[in-house]
Amino acid sequence: MSAARTSARLLRAYPPSWRQRYGEELECLIVEASAGGRVPWRTRLDVLVAGTRERIRSAGLEPDGSPADRVRGSALLILCAWALFVLGGMIVGKSSEHWQDAVPSHSGALASVAYGVLLAAALCGSALVLGGVAAAVPSFVRLLRGGGWRHVRRPLGRAALAAALLVAATAALALWGGSLDAHQRNGGDAAYAIAFVAWALGVAATIATLTAAAVAIANRVQLPHRVLRLQAWLGAGTAVAMATVGAATVVWWLAVADAAPWFLSGSTAAAGGSTLSPQLLVAVAVMAVSTLLGAKAARRALGELPSLPAA
Amino acid sequence: MPRNSSDSTNVGSRSNDPTVLILTSLASEPRHGYALLQDIADFAGVRLGPGTLYGAISRLEARGLIEATGAAGRRRPYRITPAGTEMLRAAIAELRTIVDAGTARLGAMPASGAALAGGAA
Repeated sequence: MSAARTSARLLRAYPPSWRQRYGEELECLIVEASAGGRVPWRTRLDVLVAGTRERIRSAGLEPDGSPADRVRGSALLILCAWALFVLGGMIVGKSSEHWQDAVPSHSGALASVAYGVLLAAALCGSALVLGGVAAAVPSFVRLLRGGGWRHVRRPLGRAALAAALLVAATAALALWGGSLDAHQRNGGDAAYAIAFVAWALGVAATIATLTAAAVAIANRVQLPHRVLRLQAWLGAGTAVAMATVGAATVVWWLAVADAAPWFLSGSTAAAGGSTLSPQLLVAVAVMAVSTLLGAKAARRALGELPSLPAA
Repeated sequence: MPRNSSDSTNVGSRSNDPTVLILTSLASEPRHGYALLQDIADFAGVRLGPGTLYGAISRLEARGLIEATGAAGRRRPYRITPAGTEMLRAAIAELRTIVDAGTARLGAMPASGAALAGGAA
């Protein structure tokens, strides 16, 4: 592919407003820097990373403005990291279904403890995120009373529609699953398996829509500094919860791999197989990326707190 | 060999900070993107990626530290503003403090310490 075509494609990583201002110049530079040949992979990666950062900035997640803006942006980035983390957690949840039945009780103590820690940390993280959202509700109400409805109705409407569709899909899938036996529900029925994957994608899309709505609304509301301080600390707690869930997941994985390796390979007790479950590998990778993102944002938010005016 | 450098939001005091490098390059004359990349590679040995360069350019321009001087074809030269010059002076002063401290401490290092350090390397 020519450098011109590659650079035009790479520019799609940037938000439209940025592209409108700098797109032509950057495209020209990529072609010049490639000396008329193929665009090097290092350049492609550099442009993709930079484009993603611009998208994050344009969403208000990494603002260059006041300390208050930066704390708010960091708190929102932690929320996004948590949403991504939940997707990894869902994969772990599905992959670990009925693991207690597979692991002998005399050798499952470590796995039980790790799984307990995992659940407790996940609950703590959820509570901290909900606490952060709840702290912003009074400001949101003030925004609505001040005529801000027209600014938020579109993202809110999309989020409500996505949530309603998900509830309907979940009810339909549960009804269908109720009429099947355990073997059919776990891959024996191809149509049900496809529907389940579609439902899981719907869950991911709904989480993304809800998060996007929260970010769009948060960029409109004026949060008092005390709420921003609270959110910075709640965000730091959320990052710790994410790290704990991730670590507990790895320990649980290792413990189950030791006690009942066949469970992870998806085979029967008599058969062998790899304990490097692809689903768990993806889940842990997603968790690790989102935890790093959340930890970085939490560090930035806490670092900005001394710059926030006291009142 | 040129070093890689990551992007940065602020004008920092690190010598390989893209924003400091861009301001330094523009301190002598206006330059467009490709000329900036070449000049920075020449004087600092740092090879910035195009995405990193334009990320820094967009933030420097948003903060009023550089400005476009009008397009020359698809290239657009940039020049440093008075605010950018002040920012660059401040960044250089910070760097000088570190350089001075490092130089003084190396000068104060006993010969045996220097020999040990050399032996360890």
